[in-house]
Amino acid sequence: MNIRVAAFLLLWCAGAAHAQPPPDLSGVWAPYRPGRGADPKLNPPAPTPIVLKAQYAKPYEARRAAEDEAIKRGEPLGTAAVQCVPYGFPRMMAVALYPAEIIQRQAQITIITEAFSEVRRVYMNQPQLPIDEVPPGYYGHSVGKWDGDTLVIDTVGIKESVLGYQNTPHSTQMRITERIRLITADLLHDQITVEDPVVLEKPFTYTLAYRRMPNYKMVEFVCENNREYLDEKGAVKMKLRER
Amino acid sequence: MRAGQAGLTTRLYVGVLCGAAVFAAHPLLAHHSFAMFDTAKRVTMSGTVTAFEWTNPHVYIELDVPDEKGAVKHWSVELGSPSILMQAGWKFTDVKANDKITVVLNPLRSGEAGGLLVTATVRDGRVLGNGPGRVGGQP
Repeated sequence: MNIRVAAFLLLWCAGAAHAQPPPDLSGVWAPYRPGRGADPKLNPPAPTPIVLKAQYAKPYEARRAAEDEAIKRGEPLGTAAVQCVPYGFPRMMAVALYPAEIIQRQAQITIITEAFSEVRRVYMNQPQLPIDEVPPGYYGHSVGKWDGDTLVIDTVGIKESVLGYQNTPHSTQMRITERIRLITADLLHDQITVEDPVVLEKPFTYTLAYRRMPNYKMVEFVCENNREYLDEKGAVKMKLRER
Repeated sequence: MRAGQAGLTTRLYVGVLCGAAVFAAHPLLAHHSFAMFDTAKRVTMSGTVTAFEWTNPHVYIELDVPDEKGAVKHWSVELGSPSILMQAGWKFTDVKANDKITVVLNPLRSGEAGGLLVTATVRDGRVLGNGPGRVGGQP
């Protein structure tokens, strides 16, 4: 084989590989918790440190200390959960053991998480809107594209009251980039990078892992029987029934 | 529960177990802190179900529990959500009004008659836990 034929074959193969359709992520996925003897290669990498700017770090640490103190007293402080308000993005992506359903179409990828039936819509191959044109909300505006076998999602427009990973604060200037890819046929990683020039000293990254749940039917979640309330001291209490 | 039905077969036990009774599984269950419950204590009680509410964000068992003298006290017992319970093998038909059941719960720290389910022995004798990885659950 002469060198020109070899070069042609190499380029043709590279092109063919590039033209491969993206993997199909459709289906139901549950948070992956490695058990004993699990393959360490499947574990998500450790998160990078969250470094808040000083004026945000102080109230954040104070709130965390107050929460710890309240939990020790047995009187947890109220959160959005007491009002049964959904988590919003990105916290919705990791709620206890609740699964998430991905519906993949060429033009749109839809992610439905089971707790609170939260919905994200990712518009494929579209330019992102300027942040200031997105009304701040729980899910913001997400656009996606395929980078080889990796789905890259860019999200802006998350409301400041929707707390982030580890309940971190953020500004309306926050931008979240996800890189989602199959590690094996049945294991998915979502690498989440949070940038916020107002609140963060530098971006931080954490990765969530999910395992495929074949044949799982998503369960509805309507918060109709919320018995939690805040008492006059701001502690979470449970409403009791009489006979 | 009418007091007459109550007295014969049901009794109230109060057991306190410390040490090992700190449940790592609790954060997996749901959407709020469990600090209002005393997870270092377990109380066992038997009674008659007045309502089984298969609802979000939590499932509840309402239970009439008679004491030795037949006086009935009403308890509200919190469980995980339907999704989390189903992942542990529960069905919405596992408990019904008028069932006689035994529950183990972590009581409210406030001393009020409420608690968080640890296990329920349902009418066919199965012992169901309060989420995956607990008694009766799937890992």
